[in-house]
Amino acid sequence: MKRLLRDREVSLSLSIVAICIVASVTWPNIFPTFDNISQLLLNLSIDSIVAVGMMILLISGSFDLSVGSVVAFCGGLTAYLLYYQGMFPLPAILIGLAAAGLVGLLNGYLVAKAGINPMIQTLAMMGIIRGAALMISGSGIQNLPPDFNVFGQSKFLAIQSPVWIMFVVVLIFHLLVSRNIMFRKYYYIGGNEKAAVLSGINVKKLKIIAFVLTSLLAGLAGILLASRLGAALGTSGRGMELRVITAVILGGASLSGGEGKVVGALLGTVFIGVVSNIMIIARVSGYWQDIVLGIILIAAVGMDIAFNRPAGISLKTYLRNLTIS
Amino acid sequence: MREEKNKREGRKIKIGIEGISKAFPGVKALSDVNLDIYEGEVHALCGENGAGKSTLMKILTGNYLPDQGRILLNDKPVVIRNQAHAQELGISIVYQERSLSGNLTVAENIFTNQQPHNKWGFINKKKLWEQTRLLLQTLDLAIEPNVKVADLSSGLQQMIEIAKALSRNPGILILDEPTASITESETMVLFKVIRELQKKGTSVFYISHRMEEIFQIADRISVLKDGCYQGTFTKQDTSIDEIIRLMVRRELKQARFLSQAKDEVVFEARELTGKGFSDVSFQVFRGEILAFAGLVGAGRTEVARAIFGADPAFFGSISMNGKDLKIGNPSQAIRAGIGYLPEERKEQGLFMNMSIESNIIAGTLDAAAVRSWIHNSKISKIAQIYTNKLGIKSSTVKQKVNELSGGNQQKVVLAKWLLLNPSLLIVDEPTHGVDVGAKMEIYHILHELAKAGTTIILISSELPEILTLSDRILVMRNGRIATELNKRETTEQEILAYASGIYQNTKTEKLLTN
Repeated sequence: MKRLLRDREVSLSLSIVAICIVASVTWPNIFPTFDNISQLLLNLSIDSIVAVGMMILLISGSFDLSVGSVVAFCGGLTAYLLYYQGMFPLPAILIGLAAAGLVGLLNGYLVAKAGINPMIQTLAMMGIIRGAALMISGSGIQNLPPDFNVFGQSKFLAIQSPVWIMFVVVLIFHLLVSRNIMFRKYYYIGGNEKAAVLSGINVKKLKIIAFVLTSLLAGLAGILLASRLGAALGTSGRGMELRVITAVILGGASLSGGEGKVVGALLGTVFIGVVSNIMIIARVSGYWQDIVLGIILIAAVGMDIAFNRPAGISLKTYLRNLTIS
Repeated sequence: MREEKNKREGRKIKIGIEGISKAFPGVKALSDVNLDIYEGEVHALCGENGAGKSTLMKILTGNYLPDQGRILLNDKPVVIRNQAHAQELGISIVYQERSLSGNLTVAENIFTNQQPHNKWGFINKKKLWEQTRLLLQTLDLAIEPNVKVADLSSGLQQMIEIAKALSRNPGILILDEPTASITESETMVLFKVIRELQKKGTSVFYISHRMEEIFQIADRISVLKDGCYQGTFTKQDTSIDEIIRLMVRRELKQARFLSQAKDEVVFEARELTGKGFSDVSFQVFRGEILAFAGLVGAGRTEVARAIFGADPAFFGSISMNGKDLKIGNPSQAIRAGIGYLPEERKEQGLFMNMSIESNIIAGTLDAAAVRSWIHNSKISKIAQIYTNKLGIKSSTVKQKVNELSGGNQQKVVLAKWLLLNPSLLIVDEPTHGVDVGAKMEIYHILHELAKAGTTIILISSELPEILTLSDRILVMRNGRIATELNKRETTEQEILAYASGIYQNTKTEKLLTN
């Protein structure tokens, strides 16, 4: 039992199931309905796509605070090209994604090659890109062409396209991160960067790739969001970076790197999505959501420390020795 | 222990260590150690790397709690909770590793926790500098209190560490390898300071590998071997030979491997110059084990890192099998057939939170993959082969390396390099912090490698190790090659003499014309 709980994917899945059961019993007419669940999934699909990239970055021991801004910027740029330049959807989307990739390249290059701390680099980029997003979208670009909106508003098997895209992204990256040579190296970089360099792993190049991927996924999320709403707002994705990092850490990543799975990123966002959904159903004030999520995050990480200490050592001695080393 | 009893009545025991034991996962670091230190005594602690000296001192400073046994301070049992508590009790330590903040000034470093201040917490700089000047004067140091520590030489930094320890007027001062990185004149000053402290009644634990120093400064000498107490001797009643005999296992001396070197130059460095070394030229032959001897800080690791592309070389060239090499980073070096087992296993060699198998495969993921897709079962299979081959003791290959003993950890790093199969493998302090049994096993592994045609450059600070393993010895001093010695004709004393500059480099000319 204790062994199972150590595995964050398992403990998180069990928690989600438990919460869902309780919610279904309490609000049998509201929570377990098809409409509610599909709305829940739709709401968390954008965060999940971003969380996948963030998970890869956290595995490598970095993170990116600019993702929320990239969501707004990329959606805004694509909308601008569609609405003001009359571009076809496909080239507009590709240019939007390219711009997102460029942001990631800049982040990655400055972190990996110039040695700027990722916190500072992406914090600065968060501000810069947010400014650019607000500039491009002004007070918002509405009435986007239907052949663009189809991308985020169509349904397949009664489920909205963003949810499908989320599942495809998670599946692809789950396979890559768990089985592909290049992605496996991120665990080594996060585990011990110096040792990774001395083992012949091209750390700088891989770090840049991770930042580019994260930005590209944020860009995809931004375009999807604009298409789903049929509009692009300069303020969309605000606060997303911290929400996504919360989800990814809940999903088993560690800020010091080397840990986590892509499935964990999905489970993390699902968990947050379910908790938020229930609190809305229960008519709890929105402020409480943030408080509850904060408490859950600390509890989850605290439990990790308690469960993952070496066998045969009491928690007290373990914590004591932590502060020494 | 011989005449300790009669002396005991005459002198006051400052600290009594009674039956102390301490175990770490996989290693018994100390078992049932008993020793004491008199007031105003310099007590040397001898033992090989990993004998448990540092662990014992870390218990005295409250960094570890002993599993068994007790400590008596002035005849009263104490439980030392942490380093701050140890300082309250008057126990100060100067660690082997630096514990200074380079961006702060000398004065701020020395009085870290006790800077003179007024009632609102504002620091009185004038008073701080005055106190610092006074303290530095007693150490014969002409350093301004407002100099940043990062701007000082490593020798001076060591003296600052000592000043910091003395700032609290400790009753017991522990010096862990205090002379490892300081010059001889600085050592003389240090000894003078120790003598003065002794007169004031301070007890000094002195840990060192340098026998001459120990016999110069210590009153009594205690020996530890593999965590076991071997005895305490007054200086007059013992000799360097006796102490060394107690410290070292005999097997070490017996095994001297036969040379496997072939007459074929594999690697050559010409006038290699970089940070911390200059004008380093040498050749290595196929199947040879070439040792780099020298004191800590002589520039050996720096040379190795430059060859491996981990740090840049400013000048000079290297070639492999006659072909010139340009190496910008370690992955290029590995592709060229060069491997480097780093000096600090935990910091640079291992992924501590990862499994044995993940560590072993770290450099050769493609060996476990088909078209970029990793087969986890293949990783386990490969790891299993190498854990058997190197005798890595673990429950499964999925065990995390942070649960292994130092020797087994080092074998995991070695396994990673065996898989990469370099034609030149540089091993930097390969048996540091490794117990004696594992040490011999690592020697055999390296010897077998050389036999199979791998060229090995061995960097080591342990002279018996160098004499056991190497075919040829280059002694480095102050970033330059001081001399080349043949293993068959040389002795530990000769190597040390060149390493510390007592002998000057008469043979270097011969080396350069080679």
